[in-house]
Amino acid sequence: MSIIQISHLSHCFADGSTGLSDVNLTLNEGDFTVIAGANGSGKTTLLRHLNGLLVAQSGSVTVCGRTVKQDPMAARRQVGMVFQDADSQIVGETVYDDVAFGPENLAIARPEIDRRVSRALAAVDLCGFENKRPHHLSGGEKRRLAIAGVLAMAPRVLLMDEPFSNLDFPATVRVLAQIIELHRSGHTIVITTHDLEKVIAHAQRLVVMAGGSVVKDGSPAEIIEGIEDYGIRQPCSVQLGKGIRPWAS
Amino acid sequence: MGELTTIGFNVGQSILHRLDPRTKQVLMMGLSLVSVWGGLAFMSVLTLTLAMLFYAVNLNILRLLREIRYFLFLLVFVVIVRAVSLDSRWMPVVSSSAAADGLLIAWRLLMVVAMGILLMATTRIAHIRAALAWYMKPIPLVDEKMAATMVGLVVRFVPVILFQAFEISDAQRARGIERRKNPLFRLMTFSIPLFRRVFLCADELTTAMQARCYSEQRTLPDLAFGRQDALATLTGALLCLTALIP
Repeated sequence: MSIIQISHLSHCFADGSTGLSDVNLTLNEGDFTVIAGANGSGKTTLLRHLNGLLVAQSGSVTVCGRTVKQDPMAARRQVGMVFQDADSQIVGETVYDDVAFGPENLAIARPEIDRRVSRALAAVDLCGFENKRPHHLSGGEKRRLAIAGVLAMAPRVLLMDEPFSNLDFPATVRVLAQIIELHRSGHTIVITTHDLEKVIAHAQRLVVMAGGSVVKDGSPAEIIEGIEDYGIRQPCSVQLGKGIRPWAS
Repeated sequence: MGELTTIGFNVGQSILHRLDPRTKQVLMMGLSLVSVWGGLAFMSVLTLTLAMLFYAVNLNILRLLREIRYFLFLLVFVVIVRAVSLDSRWMPVVSSSAAADGLLIAWRLLMVVAMGILLMATTRIAHIRAALAWYMKPIPLVDEKMAATMVGLVVRFVPVILFQAFEISDAQRARGIERRKNPLFRLMTFSIPLFRRVFLCADELTTAMQARCYSEQRTLPDLAFGRQDALATLTGALLCLTALIP
């Protein structure tokens, strides 16, 4: 069942450059999709259209049957976005405050907010961090906090913009394990990246973008060949002729 | 990011942390107003009380003084401007009574800033915002939630601005800015990137808040005026009475 439909979506920036050009995509509920592309290919611009941070200039984006342009708040309830820079997403003075920020905006009663915060922190393995200052957390912990802040709003779709950027190996492994777990628990996951290595083995679908357009779309195994033409490095296992293999055991 | 500014909320269980934010705000406003005409006795008692509260809140005073050093320079400037005057031959003359006046003014300003730091250190922004909305509710033609949100965002942004200022300052010192003696050049090279980064941060924060459905109709924290608040208000009133001591 489709949960997000993008049809003929185009976007121009204020300086006249093209952000997106006639993008058509349908994302299905429960899917794990990776959107890959070089810097400036339009990945982040596309994600920002999916939860109403940008409004379609031409074409349309529909989330759960409702047009994002008409009701961006409804789209944001269904589609949570984790930003590339976790620091820019942190708005609370403590971990609890930050995770509670979204549910408070939804005007949920305080006991339910407390329950959601506990559940979200447990889901990303940050129990016991409630009273810590977010800016004192490590890079990996901040990224997991950003995910918890979105999970507390109970969205059906999780968008993650370059979730592994600036993380060391252990933090990357941990964030990856949690993304896989979230997918198993029924969330629809959409990840943008220019580094396929870490995540491609777990994705069901790979969308390649270049110059604001979708240039390839299919299962990773089918379209991974020749992907370097679009400025994306092939995973090592593919380069060694072993096909797509999980990055970490 | 470990070396963040100490000006901002710190989790704790001190007496100030446990007080209702409305009590803290009214005490701060009241004591600030009284300090405008309070004499030596009032200022001494206020300073002693604030020193004890700083100790109770467990703030690092030395680090705090370092962080507000530019404000301290301003206070020194205030004292010098008050103390030094020019005689009929345009020669500078230092007056001890004027210097004493200048010191008292600087002392009052320092105490007001100290109370603001204590309020920020012991009160979550959401609570400051909720208390402001409560105070502004009876005022006609004022959207109390919008006004409280704006004040809350300003408070949220003070540590961000300070952090950005330290980062830029460090980056410029790493490239030998001290060797440039022209203060105007130094001011320009410091302020332009600072403004640029602060505006970028504000933009990112707005986007992050929008992405998480920010709205005026939020669940606000529960505020409760208890016995401790009554005692604190009474103590504050007694402190204000010391302003009557000549």
